[in-house]
Amino acid sequence: MSRAVDRSGTWIGWAFFADLGDALALTFSYMFSRSVTMQYPDQEKWLPYSRYRGHHFLKRDEEGEIKCVACELCARICPCDCIEVIPYEDEKGNRRPAKFEIDMARCLFCGLCEDACPADAIALGQQYEFSSFSSRDLVVGRDDLLGKPGKATTGGGVVAARLNTEQDVLVETSEPQGYDWWQNIRRT
Amino acid sequence: MELVFALGLIAFKVALLIAILLLLPLPLTWLERKIAGHMQQRMGPMRVGWHGLLQPVADGIKLLTKEDHIPAEADRFLFKLAPILALTPPFVVFVAIPFGESVSVLGAEITLYVSNMNVALLFVFAVIGIEVYGVIFGGWAANSKYAVLGSLRTCAQMISYEIPMGFAVIGVVMLAQSMSLLEIVRAQADVWNIVYQPVGFFVFFVAGLAEAQRIPFDLAEAEGDLGAGFHTEYSGIRFAFFMVSEYAIMLLVSVLSVILFFGGWNGVLIPLPPLLWFVLKVAFFLYVFMWFRFTFPRYRYDQLMAIGWKVLLPLSLANIIITGVAFL
Repeated sequence: MSRAVDRSGTWIGWAFFADLGDALALTFSYMFSRSVTMQYPDQEKWLPYSRYRGHHFLKRDEEGEIKCVACELCARICPCDCIEVIPYEDEKGNRRPAKFEIDMARCLFCGLCEDACPADAIALGQQYEFSSFSSRDLVVGRDDLLGKPGKATTGGGVVAARLNTEQDVLVETSEPQGYDWWQNIRRT
Repeated sequence: MELVFALGLIAFKVALLIAILLLLPLPLTWLERKIAGHMQQRMGPMRVGWHGLLQPVADGIKLLTKEDHIPAEADRFLFKLAPILALTPPFVVFVAIPFGESVSVLGAEITLYVSNMNVALLFVFAVIGIEVYGVIFGGWAANSKYAVLGSLRTCAQMISYEIPMGFAVIGVVMLAQSMSLLEIVRAQADVWNIVYQPVGFFVFFVAGLAEAQRIPFDLAEAEGDLGAGFHTEYSGIRFAFFMVSEYAIMLLVSVLSVILFFGGWNGVLIPLPPLLWFVLKVAFFLYVFMWFRFTFPRYRYDQLMAIGWKVLLPLSLANIIITGVAFL
């Protein structure tokens, strides 16, 4: 950019529109630079960071038991009142949730349930593709929550992806790591 | 028999010309959006067809099926007349434009122009001036403040660019000793006019940008300050008419630049078919139009008039005097 100022400062640059010429050269060179557009469902997909707050998941302890003690603190702190927990006593005498439902349509993904949980049982994971045609499908029960993917270990990368609409809308990826999207993008 | 054949040939040529001019905006809008996208590091249309190739078709269907809305306060007659008035002149002008010498099809020599007028250049400038009425009427009839501001700007703008544009081509006419576009191209067989007339070309092209109402001189439809300018109130097919007219004029200015200053279908170095040379040159100028659009900001309209009266007019007059002294 400074070249334009230097050359158009002289009268010869002024007479032959050096500034306009430099502008044209700049846009022309940008035309052949790589686009910043990430073609999300068709070709690329962004991997969330580990701090990302996506779809909730419930954790299990070492014995494979659900960690949740059904204290209902998450339901109490939830600002949009979208968690419903009904406790029961299992055969070992522990308090466990008989019903643990989250209405994803109402959830605002603030992560307060994760902070409030005394048993470290609920957290917000990496999944962000769960749009649905019916808001009824967005009410997720306990067993579904146990199967949801957990926190991401790596993140920020971009992986090749492919949109699959054969039975459900699915964005398939293969690599777990991904590459830095911005390494190839011209940024000056 | 001879007469019937000649008439049939003319009808065929006119039909072909109309078909090409009506269909050309489709690839041009696609190209414009693609070039815009890539200059701004975007992709442009990608989803309809391969790399969005069918996007203009989808847009066309959308425009054709939309409600054709006329504002309640509009002057209904002028409102309906304006798009037609804007669309017709660019089509009429192409009657006088030659696209090449002639080709032989099935043993018959077929000329690549509808008519070889001896005042073709005058005809072109006279007819294309009418197009501005479409813009002015359209803005006036809509009875909307943005539209009327757009057409007021067009009035002011037109006077300041039409005169330098007319003067700029006088140098070319002097060199060719003819106003026939065919003769002008034939006169450039050895050396293109751009060599003798760089100033003339500069004035012509800048005025042509204003004529086609493209950035940096698209004051009549400045999106940023006037909504959409003169066609703010238009929708559906009438809006499409204005868009087609705009692209036809852009094509016309490109074609005129090639014919008047860049040797028409005369090739240089690489031996290609003359028609291909012509198409390539026109395509280059169309690209330049789009390139300019996504590089430069818009001039204020007092700046445009200052450019027209204080820079282009003296330059074109000086160009005529120097050409006259040097070549006559």
